[in-house]
Amino acid sequence: MSPLLTDILILLAKVFLIVNGLLMAAAYLVYFERKISAWAHNRIGPNRVGPLGLFQSFADVFKLYLKEDIIPTLADKKLHFIAPIISIGVAMAVYAVIPFGDSFMVGGKEVFMSVAPGVNIGLLFVFAMSSVGVYGITLAGWSSNNKYSLLGGLRSAAQMISYELSMGLSIIGVLMIAGSLDLTQIVHAQAGGKWNIFLQPLAFIIFLVASFAETNRTPFDLPEAEPELVGGYHTEYSGMKFGLFFLAEYANMVTASAMMVLLFLGGWEMPGLYEALALPAGSPLVALVQFGVFAAKLVPILFFFIWVRWSLPRFRYDQLMNLGWKVMLPLALANIVITGIVMTLLKHYGIM
Amino acid sequence: MPQITIDGQRIETSAGKTIIEAALDNGIDIPHFCWHPGLSVSGNCRMCLVNTGFPRKSADGSLERDENGGNVINWGPKLAIACATPVADGMVIDTQGQRTEHAQNAIMEFLLINHPLDCPICDEAGECKLQEYAFLHSKGQSRYNEKKNHKDKRVELGPNVMFDGERCISCSRCIRFADEVAKQPVLTFVQRGDHVTIETFPGTTFDSPYSMNVNDICPVGALTSMDFRFASRVWEMSFTDSICPGCSRGCNIKVGVRNNEILRLEPRTNMHVNEYWMCDNARLTQYKFVNENRISSPMIRKGNTLVSASWQEATSQAADLLKKFKPSEIMVVGSARATNEDNYLLAKFAHNTIKTNNIDFLRHIDNSFSDNSLRTNDRTPNAHGAVEVGVKHEQPSGVSMSNLAERIKQRSIKALYVMDGDIAANSSLTDALDDLDCLIVHATNHNSTTERAHVVLASTTYAELEGTFTNLNKRVQYVQPAVATQDHERIEGMQMSRWDKFGAPNDRWARGERRNCRQNWEIVQDIANMLGAGWHYTNSENVFKDISNHVSAFSGMSYDLLQEFQGLTLGKAGSPEPKGVVYQSNYMKPN
Amino acid sequence: MNVNHNTEKDRLNFWEKLYLPEIARGLGLTLRQMFKKPMTRQYPEERWEPTGSYRGRPVLVLEEDGERCVACSLCSRVCPALAIEVQAAETTKEKERYPVKFEINMLRCIYCGFCEEVCPEEAIVMSKDYELIFTNQEDAILGKDKLLIPIAQLQDRLEFLRRFK
Ligand code: SF4
Ligand code: SF4
Ligand code: SF4
Ligand code: SF4
Ligand code: FES
Repeated sequence: MSPLLTDILILLAKVFLIVNGLLMAAAYLVYFERKISAWAHNRIGPNRVGPLGLFQSFADVFKLYLKEDIIPTLADKKLHFIAPIISIGVAMAVYAVIPFGDSFMVGGKEVFMSVAPGVNIGLLFVFAMSSVGVYGITLAGWSSNNKYSLLGGLRSAAQMISYELSMGLSIIGVLMIAGSLDLTQIVHAQAGGKWNIFLQPLAFIIFLVASFAETNRTPFDLPEAEPELVGGYHTEYSGMKFGLFFLAEYANMVTASAMMVLLFLGGWEMPGLYEALALPAGSPLVALVQFGVFAAKLVPILFFFIWVRWSLPRFRYDQLMNLGWKVMLPLALANIVITGIVMTLLKHYGIM
Repeated sequence: MPQITIDGQRIETSAGKTIIEAALDNGIDIPHFCWHPGLSVSGNCRMCLVNTGFPRKSADGSLERDENGGNVINWGPKLAIACATPVADGMVIDTQGQRTEHAQNAIMEFLLINHPLDCPICDEAGECKLQEYAFLHSKGQSRYNEKKNHKDKRVELGPNVMFDGERCISCSRCIRFADEVAKQPVLTFVQRGDHVTIETFPGTTFDSPYSMNVNDICPVGALTSMDFRFASRVWEMSFTDSICPGCSRGCNIKVGVRNNEILRLEPRTNMHVNEYWMCDNARLTQYKFVNENRISSPMIRKGNTLVSASWQEATSQAADLLKKFKPSEIMVVGSARATNEDNYLLAKFAHNTIKTNNIDFLRHIDNSFSDNSLRTNDRTPNAHGAVEVGVKHEQPSGVSMSNLAERIKQRSIKALYVMDGDIAANSSLTDALDDLDCLIVHATNHNSTTERAHVVLASTTYAELEGTFTNLNKRVQYVQPAVATQDHERIEGMQMSRWDKFGAPNDRWARGERRNCRQNWEIVQDIANMLGAGWHYTNSENVFKDISNHVSAFSGMSYDLLQEFQGLTLGKAGSPEPKGVVYQSNYMKPN
Repeated sequence: MNVNHNTEKDRLNFWEKLYLPEIARGLGLTLRQMFKKPMTRQYPEERWEPTGSYRGRPVLVLEEDGERCVACSLCSRVCPALAIEVQAAETTKEKERYPVKFEINMLRCIYCGFCEEVCPEEAIVMSKDYELIFTNQEDAILGKDKLLIPIAQLQDRLEFLRRFK
């Protein structure tokens, strides 16, 4: 086998794993979303399809496939068709640069735990892509030719822009510490328990809140706000096109959680664990354990996302904007300044 | 002119009137059972007791004043019945005070002692005076613990009148009606006290042609109509003001409709036409043909059968057929059952569009039907109007109904355009119709003429149209739709029953048949326009305006005035007779 | 000047304005709920038997000698949803009126119980039946065949009405 062919095969395998893994993750997130909401309501939740209702999500997807795909007469047909594809496409593209662990060696070949390893602007790529995600939603709202959809789309655009700013500013502290935009580098910078959540608690909170807003989750789900906007941007979507938006929302949730793990919770780093296991460096086993650690950190955050949704009411629009511009943005800026001063002082006294 | 004061309201009235009449003239309703403006006074129910008195005068002849400056009244020692006490100048009447109210309560309690109070079963419920007064003028309690009297129920007093002895309150309205109006004095009270009941004299039955009016005037559910019994609750029907098409009297009626189906007809007060009454024949027949055996869409002949067609097909077929004949070969037949508007446009169609002088209509004279009360020998509502608006045969060369059969046989008439009328039922014409090359009919019901027709145009009955009829005394009266068709809703709006107002198309009760029929003038206009007439009448009122502008007898009339004065006489639109008081026996009944 | 002193800014104290502590309290509340026993039941397997006070679908009382209803149409008149249609006819029985047609459109009925309250004969009562499944509009219009229920099955409701109506 020529090296090129091997590379391509490995790449395809990784893409296959990630795409399917992501879809499965999204499916089970929906399942857990419903289960957790049921628990919070003292209900039982889905329990009919498969044991404990575990196959409920597949039944849902199956149903969505069978449903009639309705395109409103006055809709802009092309955009109406493209919008959900943009949403899901962008949500998935982000995973190209997300590393799930260090590289490992198979048959003398280094295999990286991400689709596009070593992208030195990985973080920027994630941000860029998630900004493009706004287009999916805004176009969906615009092309449906429905006032509710349009309102949803507009809200989404305004909300994303407002929170992207604080989100971007909040991680500058992290970047200053790591000195790199490469996500693997950032993780490595947190090795030995120097997790950014401890070094940058304010940034973490800002990032967390902004992630909720970026993923349109309660308490910031104004773009879909069922009581006011029927369904917001996806009011006029049915069948699998609606399903794509639905999947994109959960994929984004996973992205946001993964970013939190990578940026603030030390990624796959776990002080003492690898030393205790004493596995040979570069073996696939190490990679597996790293992935396990990564997942173990991811799950509580996902739970938190769901938990918040079933606890908090939706913000009012003015509250949303006040919070974004008058609280989060100044705080994020202050965080940069403080980080900068502290780092300069530390350097000055030679501690770092 | 005596001046009286009722409940503080000063009223000028004329001598000889009773208190109840004077009050009614001024819109004050004194509760009553046995009094009826169309009958003599019997004064036996005592419901109309009122407190009467006169201002007290001092020795010097001036009126005494109380501390507030009002008159001091010498109230009578006993209450007086308003229906039999004539007014006197200066009389003061109190219909609402404590004394009157006490008397009313007492009378109601008396009347209800033996009354079964089975309103849920009783057909009168909803339009029952006893119910109304129990609600308005009674304490709603009885101190009577003994067993109630039982009397005969379901007694047939006549072929159309069912009597329930237990519900009778012995007001004698029915007896007086039979004596005075129906002129068939066969009803009487028998027994005495609380055993009193109504019977017919042995060997007789109450079968006067006006007998069913007693069902209306009986203030309770003692007399009910065998034709209507239990058909519907009164509040479930929408009542539309209309004119009876049964004869040329043009009795004013109300049409009771539920689920787009006429369930009953009842008279409407018009002091210049039918007063308070109408005949049994109309009540029994003039709704059936609207509900049954209807032509519910236009039809055209294909070979030997008539098949339903769209309006476009049917009218263009009719226009094409007419184009094939010379004007002199076409005869146009109007109708005395159609409105003035219909006949007017038909005449215009004949004279101006087809350009023929052959126009006439068929009279329906039945001398056995007339009497010297309401019924007349002309069984159509609008013979006068048809002539007046131009459907007449006095043209020099014109063909008339009398020589029509002969002309058809001679082949000088080859095409017949008939508006609403079963001319084949007329024996002299039956055979002749078979010789025609073209027979176009407007028809409401299937009949022997439609069987022979080449084009049948479904037209509306009197209950589905808006228009005017002219009665034998040349009174023009307004008719409005009581039944909805596919093209036209009813125009009563919020007066309709709850079911008609709020029912949705998928409710069963709202799914009564809506027929695809049109008013005659609309059909004529469509065909005329296909033959190049260029008319633009959009509704009946348009046509009527045209009539009042062009036909001198109608000048000055409008639908609004016709409704306001309950009809206007031809040529006298400028000096209408006053409408007078419209007596309504059951004012709590829906519309 | 007309100044409103009850603005959000004035109402909330510092901690509330911060949102975070309140959010934490809210999250705590839901978390506690998650460990409680579910209140719901597994419906088609575990059924619920309502008590006499329950207002299920309205039905007509059937006695040994036929229905109690005399077709007075009061229920039809009072029904706020126009769900009831009654057509009366004459019988030779002592109560000379009976319903030839009695239909309740269950798509319209809002289970208010007004029909039961107005009925002078206690002929229409609210049953315990809450399982109403229809596959088309016509099926949802229940006629006398489906409405008449033997009086023995309605004892709970009749007893309830005797005591509380
Ligand atoms: S006559 Fe009147 S009060 Fe008497 S049962 Fe009939 S509706 Fe009721
Ligand atoms: S039957 Fe009717 S109208 Fe005749 S006396 Fe009795 S209550 Fe009066
Ligand atoms: S109210 Fe009672 S008696 Fe009257 S129609 Fe309804 S069910 Fe029958
Ligand atoms: S329960 Fe209420 S809505 Fe239902 S039929 Fe009876 S009155 Fe009508
Ligand atoms: S109305 Fe006067 S006594 Fe009957």
